[in-house]
Amino acid sequence: MNPDLDLVLDRVIRAPRALVWSAWTDPSSFAQWWLPAPTICRVDRLDVRPGGGLVTRMSEDGVDFQPHVDASFLVVEDQERIVFTNTIDSEWRPVAPAPVHMTAEIKFADHPDGTDYRIVVRHGDPSSRARHHELGFFDGWGSVTEQLASVAEGLVLR
Amino acid sequence: MAQYSAAVDEVFVALADPTRREVIRRLGRGPTSVGELAREFPMTLPSFMKHVRTLEGSGLIRTTKRGRVRTCALDRDRLALVEDWLAEQRRIWEERTDRLDSFVTGHQAQQQEQQQEQKEEKP
Repeated sequence: MNPDLDLVLDRVIRAPRALVWSAWTDPSSFAQWWLPAPTICRVDRLDVRPGGGLVTRMSEDGVDFQPHVDASFLVVEDQERIVFTNTIDSEWRPVAPAPVHMTAEIKFADHPDGTDYRIVVRHGDPSSRARHHELGFFDGWGSVTEQLASVAEGLVLR
Repeated sequence: MAQYSAAVDEVFVALADPTRREVIRRLGRGPTSVGELAREFPMTLPSFMKHVRTLEGSGLIRTTKRGRVRTCALDRDRLALVEDWLAEQRRIWEERTDRLDSFVTGHQAQQQEQQQEQKEEKP
């Protein structure tokens, strides 16, 4: 664990482990929670096995779909653990996706109230990448700033 | 912490203007003199200077005067204040887990309802 780069989430979900697992492995279920409404999620690949692909697309209008996640599963242990990374796309090509490259580990365990659901997301260091590609960093940063600024503008207008 | 929030607020206010955002983007390429920057914007020099002072006040840029030339440079440490990518990723995963939670618990409630109905239908 690196507190500057990693995040840990621990949650008890009041539903049986098999049900939580199926929400991760059944494409039509997965599409219903992976992205926040009103964004529409389309699951192109959900091949939950080591080396299998995870490809999702997103749309605001249900017509025009943009790329969202293109990743590979590294570890899959039935109803216990899923590990996937976006540093290898679904065709196993090494990539450095924006805004951050990461490996996510999701653990499922029984809990008296349902399912003990734990997530560890390990991120690559975005600032080291930024120093190496100063200009590219600034392009990426610009889009983040646009978003921040539109939030700020919204606050000011209200 | 309050001091931190105040600094973040100032950065947000400074960024909530298209001219100032453009100045930040322009300075991303390297330090530039006020005169050179001002030429790129369709406004009077005093109006442009107001934007420069707002940016300077927020700490996003620093200016130094050498002879008659004032040069602006970006302060990347101040930019890092609003570029808290890890907090953003945490928010994404927390909200995603909230949605998974309500999806599966809703699903379960539906199943129980159906089972209940089936039981009730049987005499």
